[in-house]
Amino acid sequence: MEEVSLPVESQGDRMEELILTFLTDLISLLAIYFIVNLSLNLELGYVGIPNFGLVLAVTGGAYTVGWLPIRLLMHIYAVDSGLSSDILKNNVLIVTQINHYLQSDPLTGILVFVLTLLVAMCVGGALGVLAAYPAIRLRSDYLAITLLALGEILSIIGRNYEPLVGGVIGIMVPDLWSWLGSIRFLLLPIILLGIAASTVLFLEILSRSPVYRTFRAVRDNEVAAASLGKDIVRVRTSALIIGSMMSGLAGALYASYSCYVGPNVYGRMEWTFLPWLMVIFGGLGNNKGVLLGTSVFIAFRKLIVFYKEAFAFLPFDVVWMEYLLLSLVLLIIVILRPHGLMKEKPGCTLPRDELIKIAQEFSSKN
Amino acid sequence: MNWAILVDAITYSCLISLMSFGLAFVRITTGVWNVAHAGLVTIGAYVVFISVALVGGSPYIYLPLAFIACSLVAILEYITIIEPLRRRKASTIMMLVATLSLDLFLFSLLNILADYLQFGLGLPSKNFLLRSFDFNFLGLPGIFWSSLLLLIFSLGFLQYLLKHTTVGISLRASINNPLLAPLIGVSITRVNMLSWLISGGFAGLSGGLLPLWTQGKPVLGDSLLPVMFCVAIVGGVEEVFGTFIGGILVGFTQTLLTFALSLVFGPSVIPYKTLIPMVILAITLLFAPRGITGIEWRRFLSLLRARVIAWRS
Repeated sequence: MEEVSLPVESQGDRMEELILTFLTDLISLLAIYFIVNLSLNLELGYVGIPNFGLVLAVTGGAYTVGWLPIRLLMHIYAVDSGLSSDILKNNVLIVTQINHYLQSDPLTGILVFVLTLLVAMCVGGALGVLAAYPAIRLRSDYLAITLLALGEILSIIGRNYEPLVGGVIGIMVPDLWSWLGSIRFLLLPIILLGIAASTVLFLEILSRSPVYRTFRAVRDNEVAAASLGKDIVRVRTSALIIGSMMSGLAGALYASYSCYVGPNVYGRMEWTFLPWLMVIFGGLGNNKGVLLGTSVFIAFRKLIVFYKEAFAFLPFDVVWMEYLLLSLVLLIIVILRPHGLMKEKPGCTLPRDELIKIAQEFSSKN
Repeated sequence: MNWAILVDAITYSCLISLMSFGLAFVRITTGVWNVAHAGLVTIGAYVVFISVALVGGSPYIYLPLAFIACSLVAILEYITIIEPLRRRKASTIMMLVATLSLDLFLFSLLNILADYLQFGLGLPSKNFLLRSFDFNFLGLPGIFWSSLLLLIFSLGFLQYLLKHTTVGISLRASINNPLLAPLIGVSITRVNMLSWLISGGFAGLSGGLLPLWTQGKPVLGDSLLPVMFCVAIVGGVEEVFGTFIGGILVGFTQTLLTFALSLVFGPSVIPYKTLIPMVILAITLLFAPRGITGIEWRRFLSLLRARVIAWRS
């Protein structure tokens, strides 16, 4: 059979397109994992809550995207009642119809997106607290394994209760950014990165506040913190609410980005174990370290997937080699460098001028 | 009474008791929650599967091999990862992270092995069931008898080991007081290694039996990890035998309650049966966080009696 070769120009175009897709995908995934990992850093690094049930809040956020926008938009655009009677069966047709309407209606798209994110954050927060409630008063290792066990709940329900997100098959989600047209795939990663940046900013502001110092006091010495009047359970619960809301947000963003929600996408490995690896790798309690760890891990993973064909000679799926290397790296880090790539830095106190002013006021009073 | 359900409940209870025992045992002796225990269970299943597929014969004859293989892996885990971390006085959470990475490592290796067996040797390693190799005795499947006998044997073995041997007494001494035990000549490292060896062995045995009861796959152990944790906590990690009580309680409740609910609400409730251990876990943590063996029954009964008297008067 004669071999057909592509013209040099079209080969170049294809390469450019591949690199662009790789970069946009990388940025989007980075943004989403930044949020998840920062939420874990808030819970584990700031307060010492070993959240091994991270997947629960992430799944809660994603399921909100799978359930809410399609129903809301069907109502807004008065989708054919013949189709809307069975959302799961007519999923593709309904989503296609809604996307068609959304192409010329950016305002509705943005409003529904914002509303969905808010609901997803509330759902994530509520789920996080509910799962931790039985063990929030107990020792950290008990809390860890309780969260690990209870983190599976939503996945079991999602897989078996079809009306939620279509059971094992999953459900397609309306593309709330379809009005962006051809620039959607370029602009959406930037929007996601913007949202991730705002969570970084939020945590940086938090780490300069008295709340952060309370968090660290609880983490470092519960008894001492309690003796100073801090309600340990309340502090832990607050941190869990904030962290789980962030995880819920990340889950919702991932579902919106991929326009699909399925229980199999939100597994313990991808959304609990890997975030833990990235946070420990980067440096617990240090936001910059977490961002660095996440970037290295995600870039490494994406590169392996990008060059998957180069590993075609292997008699197994290359994804397992990726997991193998990641776990090895983490084992080495845990044994040889337990504080990760970047050490935790002392928390920010008040500015020097302000401290001097307070000291002067205090001495003048006495 | 539906006897098949009862047989199923007994088999399941025995299997999860055996599986969770190693998890709780290592937690009691070394204070580590070993997430990689899931990987050891899966290794046990694969040792038996590969042996049956390549050599042939009954799966039961390969159980000692599964015991030895998993014990060796567990010892290796202890020497290369846990002991260095213990020497550095790593926190419980860091230990948990280390075993988590180890689980991911074993999971990847098992998947690589499964891929190779499937695509290289043409064995159905991604989804296998060994029920057709099982025997039947008195009209009941061999897995019922073997899991029950193995549970009884394990209880007897542990009772003998812990109460009547020097090694067992050293083990108990190190559990009760790890700081004072070395003063009477107990080597904590050796004792810990022994507990990891026993834990790994039991994981291998239970894992080897699992394909006779359910589908074997690389994710087999990991899918049962939440149940194992539930059993360990419900039984309590205060007592060595707590897991056996926890396993029987969780196994029976899960199987019989699912059956009862399916009679009332129809078969659509059956897929949700994995939620039952989690509900039991939540209830246990709320009312008896130290598990069943951690409950001070005398105090509890006297409190109950006082309440009843107060209510009557």
